[in-house]
Amino acid sequence: MHSFLYRANAVLTFSVMVLAAICAMASFSDYLNVPSPTAHLKVVNINWLQKQPNGNDEVSLKLDISADLQSLFTWNAKQVFVFVAAEYATSQNALNQVSLWDGIIPSKEHAKFTIQTNNKYRFIDQGSNLRGKDFNLTLHWHVMPKTGKMFVDKIVITGYRLPETYI
Amino acid sequence: MILMVSSNFFVILKHLICFCSVQTKQIGLSHTLPMDWQGQKLAELLMQIILGVFAVAAFVAGYSMGSFQTMLLIYAGGVGVTTLFIVPNWPFFNRHPLNWLDPVEVERHPKPQALTSKKKSSSKHK
Repeated sequence: MHSFLYRANAVLTFSVMVLAAICAMASFSDYLNVPSPTAHLKVVNINWLQKQPNGNDEVSLKLDISADLQSLFTWNAKQVFVFVAAEYATSQNALNQVSLWDGIIPSKEHAKFTIQTNNKYRFIDQGSNLRGKDFNLTLHWHVMPKTGKMFVDKIVITGYRLPETYI
Repeated sequence: MILMVSSNFFVILKHLICFCSVQTKQIGLSHTLPMDWQGQKLAELLMQIILGVFAVAAFVAGYSMGSFQTMLLIYAGGVGVTTLFIVPNWPFFNRHPLNWLDPVEVERHPKPQALTSKKKSSSKHK
């Protein structure tokens, strides 16, 4: 601490270390939060179900997605990335997960929403297994923090079925 | 946010350097003599205490207000206050100055010539 620059360096280094410590504390405070999100997913309409020229089935859905994810937002939450995926099993693959829609929720005010939309991403099977297929719709979310650990969770809703024939 | 803190810090540093170069009297900041030992100890202690207090205050304020930005702003203010208190060579850091011998006095006590006694005297000085 004998010179101006030495003290300046000491202050700078120590202040950055303490900043890291309070950011770690902020990240740990996220564990105190017990989230209680709710979601309702509905298939409003099956637009079409077709076999593509390359032999794979494809379906176009109209979805109604409504969710209340306000309890996920803590003081340390930067944004929440949410996506809807369809899950089903085939003889070829034990589990197929196809992402149908995603979005970014920037703040708590936008976290309670309802949206009706066609699937944002194409729902194409590896093969031709979609006729009469039972599937689940899952709503996944990633709570992206300002500092620290990202929390990931999901809600699974079962009981959806695709038509028996091509539309 | 860290960029803001460090740029805030460097702005303050620039102003302090200008301020120090203006002060050439011993009454004000001393940049010809370094800080004395007690002052250095005090400077380190002050730095740890002030930053610690501001860090705790920033976290508590940020958590209770639910605002991450509040926490960072209070802490940045704390870094600025710490810089202001301990980086310049304030007079209260020089209350226990080291009394070096007058050059005339030194000539009256010449250094011993023998090798062994030189080693003894250098270990005494430590």
